[in-house]
Amino acid sequence: MAPPASVGGRSWLPGTLMAAPAVLIAAFVVVGGMATALAQSLGLFPLVGPPSLTVAAYAAQAGDLPVGIGLSLAIAAASTVVACLVGFTAALVIVQGRWCGKLVAALGTLTIPVPHIVGAASVSLLLADSGLLSRLFNTGGSWPELVGGPWWIGVVAEYGWKESAFVALVVTGTLATRAVSYDETATLLGAGRLRRLRHILIPLSLPTLTISATIVFVYSLGSYEVAWLLGRVYPEPLPVMALRLFNAATLTARPEAAAVAIVTTILSFGAVATALTYLNRSPLWR
Amino acid sequence: MIGAVTLEGLSKTFPGTGGPVLEDVNLSVDAGTCTALLGPSGAGKSTLLRAIAGLERPDTGRVLVGGRDMAGVRPERRGMAMVQQRPLLFPHLNVLDNVAFAGTVRGIPKRVARADAAGFLELVQLAGFGPRPVVALSGGQAQRVAIARALAARPAVLLLDEPFSALDPELRSVMHDLLAQLRRTLNPTILMVTHDRSEAAAVAERIALFSGGRMLQHDSVELMYSRPSSLEASRLMGGANEIAGTVRKGCHHSALGALRLPDDTTWQPGPGMLLVRQESIEVGPWDGPGLHATVSGLRALGPRRLVRLDAAGVLLRAEVPLGRALAEGDSVRLKIPTSALAVVDDPDTAHTFPGAETRPPITSQGRGTLATADN
Repeated sequence: MAPPASVGGRSWLPGTLMAAPAVLIAAFVVVGGMATALAQSLGLFPLVGPPSLTVAAYAAQAGDLPVGIGLSLAIAAASTVVACLVGFTAALVIVQGRWCGKLVAALGTLTIPVPHIVGAASVSLLLADSGLLSRLFNTGGSWPELVGGPWWIGVVAEYGWKESAFVALVVTGTLATRAVSYDETATLLGAGRLRRLRHILIPLSLPTLTISATIVFVYSLGSYEVAWLLGRVYPEPLPVMALRLFNAATLTARPEAAAVAIVTTILSFGAVATALTYLNRSPLWR
Repeated sequence: MIGAVTLEGLSKTFPGTGGPVLEDVNLSVDAGTCTALLGPSGAGKSTLLRAIAGLERPDTGRVLVGGRDMAGVRPERRGMAMVQQRPLLFPHLNVLDNVAFAGTVRGIPKRVARADAAGFLELVQLAGFGPRPVVALSGGQAQRVAIARALAARPAVLLLDEPFSALDPELRSVMHDLLAQLRRTLNPTILMVTHDRSEAAAVAERIALFSGGRMLQHDSVELMYSRPSSLEASRLMGGANEIAGTVRKGCHHSALGALRLPDDTTWQPGPGMLLVRQESIEVGPWDGPGLHATVSGLRALGPRRLVRLDAAGVLLRAEVPLGRALAEGDSVRLKIPTSALAVVDDPDTAHTFPGAETRPPITSQGRGTLATADN
């Protein structure tokens, strides 16, 4: 039986038709791409030879995958925390509407269109042991390993800088449209600045922060260029590992690259599912 | 007199606006009273309320609460609470925690704050609503919670910015009763912004009338209607009858003849506009006593009718109850009580009077006498 064209007095048909082109294209790319990668990782879409169901590609990388997963999650988590802290603080400054807020908003807006690869190159030029800051402070070889070091600080700094601008602008939208009136109400109920931050601004921004944090986390988890440029050769984060395997001279490494990509995708889905579960429990989201 | 509010020379101009939003506002509100800030949109009422609350900084002037200058006092420390047109209940908190908010931010243990909040919910007749999410409330219930939340902060001054304007008339009436009950119980000083004359009269005992950022008049509700201080004040209070004439020896002389003015006032001689409320004119049968007039038009006003009358070439308006057999062309007699008359300067003719520069303006000066008598 065909579903009714209206639910609760509202017709769903026009909305569905309007969204259909975007949904179809996104579904083709995402579902099609993932299905191909999954099939390739399971041996069902080999470049040479007959297809056969196998987990050999996953087993081949079993030694490196746990380290790669841990490293990728750590970089993504650290980048997300830095981006959210800096971005939320910037949003608070922007919403104040004073000259410094306007300056921060302008800097944030300018940051958004800069490509990550340019950002990574800039971080390298600034923070590497042969970079501008090292020469400026003339540290004489004692400059810490910020780029290519064991703590992946350059990578986290690049993601934190670039994504904090994204977080700031998204959260500013929420604060400017919703939180100002609530903030004033709380003020007149006797709440000082810190109390308002704790009891009003942070709770009201949490859904927006959660969404933007999820986007930042998934992006940092899945993109390769910053970690590839600013990170160490070993251990490798998952996307760098997938890229290396994909570009390997031996064609049999392609299923292994697909396996690493599928593992990265599962982690991303896990992050999104966790965020949506939290949001569905939030009274602000309902 | 902790909650007495005094405004001295308050002015405020926003950049980019043509003129001042507030212009030299002086107002004194006694503790425990309710004053309505009445005026059309753009009169500066809400800006004034925000300036009192400390959310806007006035360019000049002072706000005193209980005799204490509020300059430099942060809004959260002024002992005020505000309820706005939208309830602005915090969406991440349930009803009880919204009302307990003021206690929570003061550092009171949550259990104590919640118990206190439950009492205020009971006061606004919403006992048992505490665990509900705020999205589950109707408009009227949400506004009650907003009032309970404001009262739970124990404000010396409660600021209401058109709190009932989004509610339907029946619910608005219920909220007026609730406010009266809360005043009897807690007796805070209330300043309420409204553009509704009926609401101002129903809720407050005094009205401060605003137009273009200026305060035109501040009086008891009765005097605001019966003794407007100017033609503009009369029009803003809904007065519909203005009869040009001259004041001589306590009488107003016009095409209607000589009408004796209330003797509680020393009426300045000279040209003056006679004002009489349409509700005060009694329309009687032709063979009765009074001023002769002819009905020239009728318009329904809900349970009453507005009658247009031609009296000796002067257009008058009177309100009569439905059911009166009146038709266009009918001859009637009008009775205009002396106590309902007031005279103000006629801006078109006042300057023509000899010695106009030195003569004080006619501004229904008897209202001061009546106000004293009221008190």
